[in-house]
This record gives sequence, structure tokens and C-alpha cells, in this order.
Amino acid sequence: MRVCVLYSGGKDSNLALLKAWEALEVACLVTLTPRSEECYLFHYPNTHLVELQAEALGLPLISEPSPDDEEGCLRALRRALSRAVEEHGVGGVVTGAVRSVYQASRFQRVCWELGLWCFNPLWLRDELSLLREVVSLGFEVIFTRVAGYPLKKDLLGRRLDERVIEYLEGVRRYVSPSGEGGEYETLVLDMPLFRKRLRVIECEAVGEDYDATLIIRRAELVGK
Amino acid sequence: MILVVSTCRLPLSEEEFVRPVVEVLRGRGLRCEVRSYRERLDFGAYSKVVICGTALMDFDYLNYLDSFEALLDYDGGVLGICAGYQILALLFGERLEETLKIGVYRVRVVRPNPLTREGEFDAYFLHSYAVTEVSGRVEPLAVQGGEVCMFKVLGRELYATSFHPEVQNCDIIEKFALLE
Repeated sequence: MRVCVLYSGGKDSNLALLKAWEALEVACLVTLTPRSEECYLFHYPNTHLVELQAEALGLPLISEPSPDDEEGCLRALRRALSRAVEEHGVGGVVTGAVRSVYQASRFQRVCWELGLWCFNPLWLRDELSLLREVVSLGFEVIFTRVAGYPLKKDLLGRRLDERVIEYLEGVRRYVSPSGEGGEYETLVLDMPLFRKRLRVIECEAVGEDYDATLIIRRAELVGK
Repeated sequence: MILVVSTCRLPLSEEEFVRPVVEVLRGRGLRCEVRSYRERLDFGAYSKVVICGTALMDFDYLNYLDSFEALLDYDGGVLGICAGYQILALLFGERLEETLKIGVYRVRVVRPNPLTREGEFDAYFLHSYAVTEVSGRVEPLAVQGGEVCMFKVLGRELYATSFHPEVQNCDIIEKFALLE
């Protein structure tokens, strides 16, 4: 079966992509670009970098702008998935949903309406083991947004590694360790399927502790 | 040893519908073994059976109902989840009606039973068919919006849920696994 992957460029969608790659034929990536961090369903910061990631993967990218409200998000998702069906003949969609029944049930409903299979290979995964799997598979992941106590601005730009995982484990009473509630967002600079890796050339951390974003102004693909 | 039956046509779906159930069982220190609905299933070799759900677009398991007929004479406990619920319903002569339900809904318990507390609870649904009326070989245990979302086969330790207990009601799976 040919599938598309709902792809934000963060750790979860990249891990879901890797699992889909091993089991099905990945035909394209689908990215929704929200107007702001207020978006209900989709990952916000640095979605423009997905074009570089798609190039690193050698996969076509379908990108659709998305309003922030729920109905607008769902309309944009329907449009994007319809394009994936028409342009790439996909019969299924792969998502990186982990625990959010809000997100998962909306993806499931849109897929059903369009007659598409829906796959959520990370569904109900233990969040810490998921982070450790990402690291052990050689993903290079940096933090691009923090949005909640006690995540400080200095986490921005830091690599996900065992020390950070231990930190997230220690604060799990405040934040979901996988950040699925939007407590933090990540960007994957490298992973096993990338033919080249992303290099950040220019970036700026804006905002305050508990609510800050790493704006990546320039990045490029370099050899691995 | 508990037999966990996968009803997934595609292996990637097992990550979503089988692995979480296995993790609940293993999390309670219980031993289990996963087998596909397309394999020859020797139910008698196991103390209990859990039949898991599958993707909303997947109905292939309905072509393999014969593989489950041995459950009609099986002595152990069975828990059917979603696709497993549909299999048990059909095996015991119930009719499935088209009832699309996706998301979290409030469930009302209508009969005391060993797997749930009395009253109401939220559960995650992902199905397009369910039983709306029972004919006599099964008894409703819980209902949601016109469907019998949980039933038990009369006189047997065979239970079924149209919702996915592995998402928000892991205690149902644990209580089933620990039933004497």
C-alpha cells in the first residue's frame, strides 16, 4: 500500500515515517502550515524547514496552509490528503500521534471520510521509551519551542540526548515527556533515512522561560 | 499463558491495536503470545484469549470467522475488543449494524460485572459496526448512544467491548486477565 506521512519535521513524525518506511511504500509527505502556535492540531515552528527535510529524504512534499481553528485545520487536512490521493495514489495515512485522543480521533475521522487507512504506529507508546528509541536510532533532534513550566528558554537549540531525557523524566508531573500536549516542539536535523543532514546557519531564540521559540532563519543541507 | 489474537491485515496496524494490549498484560507480569487471525489458532493451549481490534478500514478478519468457531466450545475466558467484539457477536448469532463511532464517549454500565465499576465512564471508540439489540445468547453489560458497547455471553466467561479499553480503560483488560 502507498501511504503519505503527516509530517511536521519533529521527532514523532520522523519516527512514524521510519516505521512506515519499513512496512509500507511511502509515496509522499504531507505538511500543514498553521498561522500561529495557537493551532489546535498541527505543530507550528519552523515548518518551512520541512522542504529541506523532504529534499533530504528524496520524497515529494504536499504542503497546505492551515487556519488555527479546528474546522479550518480539518478542511486544510482534507484538502492536503485529497491531493496526496490524486497526485500520488495513496491509500493510507501515517501519523505520529502518541497519546492525544483529540488529535487521533480527528485524523481517524478525516481518513474515514476520504476512504483512507489510518496508521498510528506510535500510539500509546511509553513516552520515555519513545524518546530513547529516537536517540538510539541516531536521530539528531533539537528543541525549537518550549511552552509550559518548567521548560526554560535555554532548552531551545539543545539536542535531545540521555541527559535531556532524564530531565524530562524528572519533570513529568508538569509536562508530558514526549511533549505531545504542545509543551515543547522539536526539529529533526538528521535521521537514518536522510541522505543529507540539516545544518542551522542562523537562528534566534525569542520569548521567555516557559514560552519561547527558536526561529531558524537560515538552514542548509550538508553531506553526512 | 494468554493468547492475544491480532486481527490486523497489515503489520503496521499491530503497533496501534495489538502492542498496547500486550503492554498492559506484560505490565501486570502476565505472559502472553501474539498470533494472527490468519494462523491456525489452538485456543485450548491457552488459559485466556484476547482478540484485539484493527484499523477502521480493515475488515479482512470477517473472512476468517471459521478460525474462531472453536471458541464456541472453549472453556477459558475471552475478551473481544472492537474487531474481537464483532467476531464474538457474529459467532453467537448477533447482528451488527452500521454505527460509525470515533472518539471518546460516555458509557453507561447497565449490569454489574467483574470488569467495570457501576455507573458511567469514558471510553475511546473507533468502529463502524456494533450490536444495537441483543437476541438472547448474550447479555448487555454497558451501552452508549443506542449501541450495546459491552456484552457477555450468557453462562460463559466471554466478554466483548466495542470500545478500545487499552486507550483509557486498561483496568478492564487487567481485571479480565486476573479473573479466576
